[in-house]
Amino acid sequence: MTTLTRGAWGYAGASLDFKTGNWRSTDKPVHLHAKAPCHAACPAGEDQQAWFALLQEGRAQDAWEALVAANPLPGVTGRVCPHPCESACNRATLDGALAIHNVERWLGDEAVAKGWAYPLEAPAGDAPVVAIVGAGPGGLSAAYHCLRLGLKAEIFEAAPQPGGLLRSAIPPTRLPRAALDAELERLLALPGLTLTLRARLGRDVSLDELSSRYAAVLLAPGCQEGKEWDVAGAVPTDHREGLALLREFMDHGSFPEAQRVIVHGGGNTAMDLCRLMKRAGSEHVTLVTASGLPGPNTAPGDLINVVPRELEEALEEGVEIIDHATVGRLIMKGSKVTGVEVVSLRKLPGGDGRTHRVAFEGTERILPADMVIPCIGERVDPEGLEGLLERGYLRPADSWGSLSRPNVYAIGDASGQSGTVAAAIGDGRRAAEALALRLAGEVPVSDARPVLEAPQLNPRYYGGGARPHVPKLPAAARDFDSEIEGDIGRTAALAEAQRCLSCGNCLACDNCWTFCPDNAVIKTQELASDGSHYLFDLDYCKGCGLCAQECPTGYIQMVPEEG
Amino acid sequence: MSDPTPSGSSMPDNPRLAELRRKHGRPPQAPGAEPPQITPRDSQPRFRGLESGHRACQGCGEALAARLVMESAGPDVMVSNATGCLEVFTTTWPQSAWRVPWIHSLFENASAVASGMEAAMKAKGKNTKVLAFGGDGSTYDIGFQTLSGMLERQHNVLYVCYDNEAYMNTGVQRSSSTPHAAATTTSPAGKERMGKRHLKKDLLSIIAAHHIPYAAAASVAYPQDLQRKVRYAMGIEGPTFLVIHSPCPLGWKHDSCLTIEVARRAVECGLFPLVELERGAVTNVMPIRKPRPVRDYLELQGRFRHLFAEDPRAEEEQAHLQALADHNIATFGLTGDAEDPADTGGAALVHRGGPLASGGF
Repeated sequence: MTTLTRGAWGYAGASLDFKTGNWRSTDKPVHLHAKAPCHAACPAGEDQQAWFALLQEGRAQDAWEALVAANPLPGVTGRVCPHPCESACNRATLDGALAIHNVERWLGDEAVAKGWAYPLEAPAGDAPVVAIVGAGPGGLSAAYHCLRLGLKAEIFEAAPQPGGLLRSAIPPTRLPRAALDAELERLLALPGLTLTLRARLGRDVSLDELSSRYAAVLLAPGCQEGKEWDVAGAVPTDHREGLALLREFMDHGSFPEAQRVIVHGGGNTAMDLCRLMKRAGSEHVTLVTASGLPGPNTAPGDLINVVPRELEEALEEGVEIIDHATVGRLIMKGSKVTGVEVVSLRKLPGGDGRTHRVAFEGTERILPADMVIPCIGERVDPEGLEGLLERGYLRPADSWGSLSRPNVYAIGDASGQSGTVAAAIGDGRRAAEALALRLAGEVPVSDARPVLEAPQLNPRYYGGGARPHVPKLPAAARDFDSEIEGDIGRTAALAEAQRCLSCGNCLACDNCWTFCPDNAVIKTQELASDGSHYLFDLDYCKGCGLCAQECPTGYIQMVPEEG
Repeated sequence: MSDPTPSGSSMPDNPRLAELRRKHGRPPQAPGAEPPQITPRDSQPRFRGLESGHRACQGCGEALAARLVMESAGPDVMVSNATGCLEVFTTTWPQSAWRVPWIHSLFENASAVASGMEAAMKAKGKNTKVLAFGGDGSTYDIGFQTLSGMLERQHNVLYVCYDNEAYMNTGVQRSSSTPHAAATTTSPAGKERMGKRHLKKDLLSIIAAHHIPYAAAASVAYPQDLQRKVRYAMGIEGPTFLVIHSPCPLGWKHDSCLTIEVARRAVECGLFPLVELERGAVTNVMPIRKPRPVRDYLELQGRFRHLFAEDPRAEEEQAHLQALADHNIATFGLTGDAEDPADTGGAALVHRGGPLASGGF
């Protein structure tokens, strides 16, 4: 053995003793699970990104279970929801938003067909019981979430059947009764849930009685009373309010005779009414709405508040729409309507910071009409709620639905916010979560995570793919019972899941692990505490930012070093 | 003759070195000692031939390329490394970031040393593959002669050139690999010239003219493609050659987080075609799904900033680089007929669960 004199060596991998992490001067990478925009936009609080991720792995039942952790009625919302999730979808900037509602509906139907059990356990025998007034979507959601949280629920419903406006106001062409009943039956059969029908607040039960007998009271009575309506003091003798007319049609199957109908309003009730009256034989059905139709120049707040495909289908069926307008005057012959004067208007900001409706002089036009139907919203039936209503609604103090009375919460349309089925379902969940925490002596907190915006994605890593084709009944074949939008089926639903960009959540794609020049990303076999499969070894990370730049989903972000 | 000492203190004549080794060295585990705790780093599902703690700059493309090569070549390999960034930043005495036998001799002789190592392995009856690493300076310029000799003698060596298109280690001087019109300290942009006057040397054609079994170009922007080429070359008995486009944030003057994006655009615009040649003939290329204008590649880099000045020469040089890219696209037929899972768009796709997971479109 000779002594080496000209060369020298270091031990293999001894550079690990040199911690290059202290080179970082500004930012360090972190895993940041921002909210996907679909999740942030969902009134029901579903995390679409989370259940699409499970569906990407082909785990349909797990995906459904993740979905019903927020919304127990996916088969219903997949059919009736105006899907703000799709409007928010970051894929819209690439090649079209995901068909979230179609996949949601498929999952809901699949769960019914396969008999997948709701992922909850029966509450303990001595669990506190929560009283819920109203078995509409909000009340049912609240009851379901009470069960999930280990409470029992007892629902009091005035009508002879559960479902609320899902049954009384949404036409079967949008929500077939078989689909509604299938989901409701499964929900109502859950252990710990009791439903008392024909029990009306104020007549059969009183709020004081409920408050004293139950751990908490959730009020989800909906809006049952039409708002008073007149145009400059004039009301026709045969005046009918839109929702009442719709309900009557659901029960009896006929509308009053009219050839020229003017519907005044801008919501789903107005849209449903227009389409049904057109189908029932009215020659001209015209919707007069103060909002705008979808288009490049329409501000999001000005957009007509209906399900986008409903609007499309209504135009296909020949419903006429006059946007940015209102009914300025009724033309009466005696006390019978013969026409209306329509005037253009805009919602414009006034000097006081509030929006005002400004009608424009010189835009008046006269339309002949046999019938004018207002669909301008409804208010809460005050019976049994004396002292709680404020300008027609319950108006809770916070996002949990808390009312001034202790342990009493308001849910759904009755709380006076813009009412959709999904919003009522979300209200029910939040109220149930808040009351469960408060019963346990804790304080509910809202999810303050940021939303992941499209520029934070790296679109280079995603493949292309168009939205699936959705079967639809042609306009001529539409009647009063057959569902118009069809099922996309298993293959299309699973393919659609592959289009999800996983905004803000880890794909486990290995990009950060592959691209780190410093070997400072460590892959883990088990899920790390932040839900990914990767750790940052900040002892060696030099802070170059490559991982954040090349992360497809925006899950890695560079944040300033503390201190 | 001195007494062989097991702990590696083989230089008792130099107390300073012995002290440094005690302080920074990692003596091998003695037999029978308590096994060290397994950390998550120890249980990575890939071979860590090039470890952390090396002194490459933030976002170094060369460090990334070398790590990717070692992952798919190792562990039964030996490395002969020419002078250059890679040599300097991985072996700061007495530490080494390498976890394989590794030797550095001179700037010009990595291939000659590798030839000797290969002959020694052959004489000992071992199958350990010899790798030779060099930057573009030692490959295109200084070590070109020994490289040619090694290829001509048909040594069983994989030569990898980490091409960052200038002498970065000594402070960004032009090499024969520096692209036309790029500014370096020895080809500055100014009144006389718009950066480098000459063209980038077409090294791959010269290498292929040695009629060797395999010569290919790869890019750090397509790591799966890069590693496939390494594995393919490792399976060949005989001389093989790989040139890897490795952006240098310092010398190319781009943000350290943009290393991959810059490399990707070089491929997508046609200036760095990913081609494979066997026995001198083109056998495979990575088609470009949607060719990008050269401008998109240039605009990210400070070394081409002068090409965006209000100057007719700037416009001319941009057009010249575009013509060179178009020439590459035409020569190698880089535009595919239809979307291909192996083209520049398809090769980048990721799926939930990583590159090995099934799924996708």
